[in-house]
Amino acid sequence: MSNTESVPGGTLTRVSEDSLLRVTDLSLGYGEGADEKRIIENLSLTVGNGEFVSIVGPSGVGKTTLLKGLSGLLKPKAGQVVVGGGALEGPHRDVAVVFQDYSRSLMPWMTTRENIAFPLQGRGQKKPLRNKAADEALDAVGLGGQGNKYPWEMSGGMQQRVAIARALAYNAKVLLMDEPFASVDAQTRFDLEDLVIDLREKLGVTIMLVTHDVDEAIYLADRVIVIAEKPATVVDVIETGFGTHRDQVATKADPRFQDARGRILTRLRK
Amino acid sequence: MRTLTNVLWRLWLPVLLVVLWWFASANSTNLFVPPLSRILGVMGRDFTNGVLLQAMSSSLSNLALGLLIASVVGVALGLILGETKRLRLILDPYIHFVRSVPQSALVPLIIGIFGLGSASKIYAVALACVWPILLNTIDGSLGVEVGVRRVSRVFGIPRMLYYRRVVLPGAMPQVIAGIRVALPIGIVVMVVSELFASNVGLGFYILHSSSTFRIPETWSGALLVGVIGYVLVIGFSLIDRQILAWYHKSGAR
Amino acid sequence: MATTTTTPMAFSGRPSVNWTLTFQRVITLVVILLLWQFALMSGLLPKITPGVPDIVTSIFTVVTMGNFWVGFGYTLFAALAGWLLSCAIGVVLGLLIGTVRPLDRSAALIVEFGRAFPTIALMPVMMLVLGATTNMKITMVVLAAVWPVLVQSILGSRRLDPGIVSTATVFQIPKGLWFRKVLLPSALPFIATGVRISASIAILAAVGVEVLTQVPGLGRLITLAQEAERWDNALAYLFFAGIFGWLVASLLGRAEGRLLRWNRQSDD
Repeated sequence: MSNTESVPGGTLTRVSEDSLLRVTDLSLGYGEGADEKRIIENLSLTVGNGEFVSIVGPSGVGKTTLLKGLSGLLKPKAGQVVVGGGALEGPHRDVAVVFQDYSRSLMPWMTTRENIAFPLQGRGQKKPLRNKAADEALDAVGLGGQGNKYPWEMSGGMQQRVAIARALAYNAKVLLMDEPFASVDAQTRFDLEDLVIDLREKLGVTIMLVTHDVDEAIYLADRVIVIAEKPATVVDVIETGFGTHRDQVATKADPRFQDARGRILTRLRK
Repeated sequence: MRTLTNVLWRLWLPVLLVVLWWFASANSTNLFVPPLSRILGVMGRDFTNGVLLQAMSSSLSNLALGLLIASVVGVALGLILGETKRLRLILDPYIHFVRSVPQSALVPLIIGIFGLGSASKIYAVALACVWPILLNTIDGSLGVEVGVRRVSRVFGIPRMLYYRRVVLPGAMPQVIAGIRVALPIGIVVMVVSELFASNVGLGFYILHSSSTFRIPETWSGALLVGVIGYVLVIGFSLIDRQILAWYHKSGAR
Repeated sequence: MATTTTTPMAFSGRPSVNWTLTFQRVITLVVILLLWQFALMSGLLPKITPGVPDIVTSIFTVVTMGNFWVGFGYTLFAALAGWLLSCAIGVVLGLLIGTVRPLDRSAALIVEFGRAFPTIALMPVMMLVLGATTNMKITMVVLAAVWPVLVQSILGSRRLDPGIVSTATVFQIPKGLWFRKVLLPSALPFIATGVRISASIAILAAVGVEVLTQVPGLGRLITLAQEAERWDNALAYLFFAGIFGWLVASLLGRAEGRLLRWNRQSDD
């Protein structure tokens, strides 16, 4: 359990048999022809069933673009994203997303319950059923009984919990998180991080987190994928090996944590 | 190339509609829906013989005078009300009530009192246009920065100078916005009052031609009024952009 | 006609009554009415102007008369029908135009022209084609009142937050549901403004048509009263026309405040 020293590229073969999300030679960008601008180039990675993977990179490296590509919001220029056996053509039933800006991803005209149940309504689920699912999801994120509140009646941290609950209720195989804790204060951030760890331990969801925060990336993940350069590609992969249980103080004091931190920061400073 | 496709995108539908109208009405046997060619022909004829020009000048000068009165009264009252909170609070419900009266309902009364002539038209337009200008001016004067006010007080700027050089320019964007709202209202009231009773103007042209069953003239008058209204409103917003260039540039909004 | 101003006073239902202010307002009203009466007696106002007591008496007698209620009913019906039609047409078309780019570009000039066109000018033509009927009145109301709703709906749908769009796409919200539950509510604050402006234009247009034609309604009553030189009655009708317009405006303002509670909160 102490293979913090895993080599870049070695991960590609590790879980390929039961990998849930496989990205091969993915290139993403905007514009066509001469105007084309590549943001991501030849990026490959896999995420195994039940795994928690962080993608960390400096600001402006193209993390949001990558997330758009992984969630089917942006068509690849080259390469492909495979989820649960099929290549991704667009937004996929097996992929749910928690966006960074909760205030712009929760619909202010819906109560929290309606927000969570809305994707299920889109799937044609009957009202009692989807409301039940929504209430269960609210319970899971520690907001039991708050279904009738509107997002703007809640704090930022609570709103982000609602966004997480919505992704949970969607019952997707992979949960993508785009800097989900970037817009909240430090204490709330720790609480949300521990909530995610807790949810993963209990529900066994597969999570891919995109962040610029190195500590957060290491603290939460089984594996940290470092992306850098322009256009961005994978420059390092680190196994954390902390297991499913973590602690804000103990884990962060762990020498492996410090090692990984040093290694990533050095890598990003290049 | 890009601008050309843009222009084409914007134009094709309106052009298509006019062309459709042209051909669909070409052989119209309906007495009340004459061919478009005939409507435009009549319009051209009455333009060259001066009938329409005369009607236009009378209508438009009434409109301009009415709007001018409304602006002067609206701005003056608006500045006073904007600067005196008590008065504003007291008069608020009355202003809102009077503003809620459908302006078209006033037309018969105003014409009844002031007769058929120009005066009644000017008053009708003024009475309808004064409210948006008044309310916007109040808003504008309330929007003048507290800091600016304080500076004026500290330097002992005299009352009139303060109104003229501080509050009025500060409220100007709102005043212009008020006039922009008032303009279409004024045009509507001008048309209604002329259609109600008149002996000159575009409304009279329409009214007279329809009562003497010259249908193409009725159509051409109605279309002309519409086009004039459109041109006035668009023209005003262009001028508005010119006048308020400083305001839009300063990024005050 | 995209902007109108509302002073903050008008629609905020404040619970406590400010008695001093109410007293001052009442005094002001009395002073205005006294001034009117004095102006009349001193000959400043035209002879035909009725005095304050006559108008007040008329206001009370008019309400007991059947033809007032019938006329009011006609106006209300035409304005309401035209307004509802305008809202339905304006919202559906506006949301479509606002979200479908080719449609937006093609319709831009027509929308611009339509909103600036003084529709009432078409009245004589409509009279010829449709006659002096209720249908003609409703058509005129729609032609005048549809534009604010349309324009505001277009503006509102353009305002849709990209974050919300991504969310709806990721969670694969079907088109119909997206239209109803995402686009429409998001545009609602803008639409509400259009709907409010459109209501007062609908009344204006309905009364305008009645004033100009033989179509029955409140406007027609005013014209008739003026022709019969019953100025007291004419002013009483005008008073009720004002009350009607004011009621509609404040009711809609209040409904808007309640319906759009989320909007005010999320803006800060």
